[in-house]
Amino acid sequence: MAAIEINNLVKSFGAVKAVDGVSFTVDAGSVTGYLGPNGAGKTTTLRCLLDLVTPDSGEALVGGRRYSSLPAPVTEVGAVLEATSFHPGRTARNHLRIMCTAAGLPLTRAGEALEQVGLADAADKRVQGFSLGMRQRLALASALLGRPRVYILDEPANGLDPAGIEWLRGFLRHLAHDEGAAVLVSSHVLSEVEQTVDNVVIIAKGRLVRQGTLTELTSNGDTAVRVRTAKPAELAPALEAAGATVEQAGDGVLRVRGLDAEAIGEVALDRRLVLTEVAQERSDLQKVFLDLTEER
Amino acid sequence: MTALVKAELRKLFTTRLWWIMMLVMIVLVAVNLGFLIGLAGVRQNGSAGIPARDTAEWAQLAWSAGSGGAIFTMILGVVLMTSEYRYQTITGTFLTTPRRNHVIVAKLLAGVLVGALFGLVVLVFEAVTVFPAVLLSGGELSLSASRIPQISIGILAMLALYALFGIGLGALVRNQIAGIVGAVVWAYVIEGIFTGIPVLHPIGRWLPGGAAQALMSIDVDTGLGASRWLPAWAGALVLVGYAVVFAVVASATTVRRDIT
Repeated sequence: MAAIEINNLVKSFGAVKAVDGVSFTVDAGSVTGYLGPNGAGKTTTLRCLLDLVTPDSGEALVGGRRYSSLPAPVTEVGAVLEATSFHPGRTARNHLRIMCTAAGLPLTRAGEALEQVGLADAADKRVQGFSLGMRQRLALASALLGRPRVYILDEPANGLDPAGIEWLRGFLRHLAHDEGAAVLVSSHVLSEVEQTVDNVVIIAKGRLVRQGTLTELTSNGDTAVRVRTAKPAELAPALEAAGATVEQAGDGVLRVRGLDAEAIGEVALDRRLVLTEVAQERSDLQKVFLDLTEER
Repeated sequence: MTALVKAELRKLFTTRLWWIMMLVMIVLVAVNLGFLIGLAGVRQNGSAGIPARDTAEWAQLAWSAGSGGAIFTMILGVVLMTSEYRYQTITGTFLTTPRRNHVIVAKLLAGVLVGALFGLVVLVFEAVTVFPAVLLSGGELSLSASRIPQISIGILAMLALYALFGIGLGALVRNQIAGIVGAVVWAYVIEGIFTGIPVLHPIGRWLPGGAAQALMSIDVDTGLGASRWLPAWAGALVLVGYAVVFAVVASATTVRRDIT
């Protein structure tokens, strides 16, 4: 059974279809990146999964059950939704202690979780003095309290500095690969999660666009080389003669498939043609993602 | 449920609001008592006005001043609920306890406990001010004649239940400022008018404030005319009725709502 299971989820807010028939699963021991531009429906999906929002139709299950029917939710699912949901006048430790009390966990878990996310020094400071990065770490600490097996994280890298993002990547990989947890992490910045995730689910305007393992998405697609020359009319047939498929992209640019950059360079050298640009085109995942985020 | 009530109490006592409210409440009650002490026995326009300090009527009137604390427990109740929305801590609360009804019940119980605690503080404060005031002016302190025990029960019930009313109001409006303004307008303006002017008591006695007055059964004519409250038991019933209504409002407005 999948740790997280989303079937045909639909949710509208007024006339806006926030999520429109999304289905995917997340297995234990893997990190799944849930990607899409801002407003694509990522947060709504995650909030349906956590029973904060009631879907119009379809289901979103954790461990085969609805979140609100879990007997001890905090010990099964750790969630990070937004770094802003803290009372500014309360200390970090007290925030976590309130959760511990409500969930029946020992109060000592508060200090341990703060230690784990590197906030031990700020534990007894009021949250109003926290940077966005510190709030994000505190939110993560609250997800760790019950030592859950499933993690649902909404844009957890927001506000983290580069070192913090690097730390988060390692931490998520550790949770999934070493501790066997299922991790679902949303982001609108591909590069944030590209080195972390095993699987990718891409959503845009409420609809699922792509899903698969990271290797599938990056190796299956286009591996074209972009070449620019002053004489494309001479280079194109030469490349085709060498076994490549060539697409004229205009402005002296050729998109070449079937030959790598070195082979293309050798063909050009043989014909004494000057290349002014040789570049490997971006991987499929990035292209798909850019097409969506830039709405070209 | 005990754990959830504890968590709610921890929420309140880990921020500064509760003791600020308690301090302001005591100051307000003190100001009221100051007037009652200063104006005791002074004749207004030839009529009785406030009774003299050595009478049982004065002790009754002074002791009931503690009911003025109800507005503060109501505001506290409003804040207990609305700050969850204002700071979006409601998300974490419902993630920890997805059964929202349990959260609401725990909040209402915590509100009643804190309201009663405020009531106790008011009563202690009254004891150290009213008793000396009566004794120093040569009066005799008779608990039965001044009916202090019954008034005390009324104050405790009123402060505890007004906290609950505040939580219901807060769940309904969710906006903190609107909730606090609503509580003040309700307690000071609407209830103030309908329970302060005896000719309006036929309406006022059905309001929570009037019902609380009935529970305390204050019947001292301070020159505005005789009060026309319900009998004490009916006042208690009306208060319980309001508590149920506010609890249902709090639950109904919270259980199905999307938290976005």
